[in-house]
Amino acid sequence: MPAKGRHWLVLWLFFFLGTLAWVVARQTSAVGLARRLGDTRARRSALEGQKTDLLRRIRSASGRAVLIPKAQSLGLRLPADSEIIILQVPNPERR
Amino acid sequence: MAKPAVRLRVVQVAFGISIVAVLGRAAEVQLVRGAKYAEMARSQRTERVVLPARRGAIFDRNGVPLASTQESYHVGIAPNELRDSRQDVRVIASSLGLSRHEVERALRKKYAYFHGPFSSARVDPLRKIRGVHLTSDFVRFYPDPRFARPLLGRPAEAGRPADGIERVLDSVLAGRSGSAVVLRDGSGRQYESPSRLDAFPVAGGDVYLTIDADLQDIVERALAEAIQNYSAAGGDVVVIEPKSGEILAVASRLADGSAPATAFNSVFEPGSTAKLFAAAALLAQGRVKDADVVWGEGGSYQLGARRITDDHPQDWMTLERAIAVSSNIGIVKFASRLSPVEQYEMLRRFGLGSPTGVEFPTEAGGRMQLPQRWSRVTAASLALGYEVSVTPVQLAQAYAAIANDGLMVRPTLVKVVRSRDGGVLYRHGPEPVRRVVSPAIAARLRDMLRGVVSERGATGGTAALATYEVAGKTGTARKAGPAGYIPGKYTASFASLFPADRPQLVMVVKLDDPKGAYASLTAAPVTRSVLEQLLAAQTGSLDRARLKGVERATTPDPALDLGLVPYVVSWPSSPPAADTAARAVPDVRGLSLRAAARALHREGLQAKVRGRGRVVAMAPTPGTRLKPGTSVLLSSEPR
Repeated sequence: MPAKGRHWLVLWLFFFLGTLAWVVARQTSAVGLARRLGDTRARRSALEGQKTDLLRRIRSASGRAVLIPKAQSLGLRLPADSEIIILQVPNPERR
Repeated sequence: MAKPAVRLRVVQVAFGISIVAVLGRAAEVQLVRGAKYAEMARSQRTERVVLPARRGAIFDRNGVPLASTQESYHVGIAPNELRDSRQDVRVIASSLGLSRHEVERALRKKYAYFHGPFSSARVDPLRKIRGVHLTSDFVRFYPDPRFARPLLGRPAEAGRPADGIERVLDSVLAGRSGSAVVLRDGSGRQYESPSRLDAFPVAGGDVYLTIDADLQDIVERALAEAIQNYSAAGGDVVVIEPKSGEILAVASRLADGSAPATAFNSVFEPGSTAKLFAAAALLAQGRVKDADVVWGEGGSYQLGARRITDDHPQDWMTLERAIAVSSNIGIVKFASRLSPVEQYEMLRRFGLGSPTGVEFPTEAGGRMQLPQRWSRVTAASLALGYEVSVTPVQLAQAYAAIANDGLMVRPTLVKVVRSRDGGVLYRHGPEPVRRVVSPAIAARLRDMLRGVVSERGATGGTAALATYEVAGKTGTARKAGPAGYIPGKYTASFASLFPADRPQLVMVVKLDDPKGAYASLTAAPVTRSVLEQLLAAQTGSLDRARLKGVERATTPDPALDLGLVPYVVSWPSSPPAADTAARAVPDVRGLSLRAAARALHREGLQAKVRGRGRVVAMAPTPGTRLKPGTSVLLSSEPR
């Protein structure tokens, strides 16, 4: 039996609603993804900031301007060259 | 009154004309001016924005970050969008490090704006607050802002041009900005639209300098201490690897703590450090034989209208001795065997009077007159290091040529340039400039420099180390002012090679107007201090494996107060049988703590220190016999 006009109408309506639902689902997924991407970017940026701050603190703490006064206050001093012994790594070919 | 048919016709015609007019206008808008109106509409609802590229980082040769780029934020707040004003103000104030009062006052406006810039960590708690709008920006970050400041420079900012490495490598570091089209609503707010991204921003390349951060730290600190200890007006230190030309450390400083890049752009008369170039010319031209001697004139020599003097009068002296004791009379007499052209050409071959080509934007070239313009005393002046000016980097390059068997290489500050994805865009290889002297002459010159440090009575003894020979040359030159030489003001410099055999480093130390004047008492001890610290540091600048076999062959001058512990031992080590016999405690009263500790260490004893300054008392008393390893308590008081 050939489809009547109202059948076509229902079919088109379903097709239209389906397409609409697909578009909405895609948009929702994209918005969620964009939010997660933004959060990840923010997190990465925060971690980079943290890393930079730690680098600055490490650099400052390991500099001679900080270390030497502390070492001197503990009674330490820089060794003269005659007080340094360099251990030569053995040549593996000669073993 | 017209008939109805006529009236109807008039109305029809009027309608017809109106329709034609509307259609014509529509055709004009759509067809003739369509593109223009479309563009206008687009510009009203979209905006093209520049996406800044992340600037590349700068590292030292071992990957220690010296400069990087960090994302930072500016904070905008729409007060009418806040949901819980009291709570939000508290969070905003604590996050941005502001007082609540400041934030509340700012929020009285229609739109509050805090420029900052604030780090990502600080603005993180604000991200979830409705009404807070963050705009990001890139800011340059230096882990230690004072570290290598003149070398690194700063990128250009509003009202200030770029300088240093940031300037010379700007095209590499800057990257390429991208662009995007963002959508704009009726109120002007922008919405990102990924589908409208025109060009991705390309991050700048990362630059690895030849600088060694550890050595740079040592050098900067040693220079600051030297300026303070010798009440100098300023100074520079340059350390260069002679084979590759890589500059490992470069520090400049003035007494007020500022740090202009004087190692690159400030010239000085090198004084006696230039005597070696005259010696090189004499050897290259075959104008001097091993046995040739000149008479020291008892320390005073009249050359035309000019009197040349030596602080330490010499008798007969060879060229080697003249260099070792830095005899003005000796080198002037030897240099008189050269023609002006021969002397000039050798100085030019050593790079004097022309910039080195190092990657620094404001490098000075120095000054040297053509032989045609020389006066009657210019040849003698040049032999003494006057009437010629150099930068510390130029002097280091010239001495590096001697260390590198006579081959001069271009000094460099850039080791590697990498793209953001890690690919190598540039890697430095040694760039030979010219052969200055033959390897044999370079070896003779190194022997002369060795004599300057190790010979008895020579000028560079204060740079000597106990276990390795240092080669070098002192230079004490009068400082020139606008009205001639300034009485009592000097530039003290010491150019050195370490070790003397198979040199790994060339160092130039220059101090402006130091108290103590003579380079042997100022610049040379700074060189020794830097080398001692370098040997004690865990830095890769020194290949310790290559130190094996080049230890000091001769016994050092005992007057130099150097220890005698063997420097390099083979591994697996087989230490000599321990000497456990008791020995007498040396009398170290009156010595500085350092000298006292060294004296005790030489005897195998340990030092315990109380107080600072000079040693005033010892326990046990001098002469007591103790076993090795026993501690001696040193009580000291400030001088």
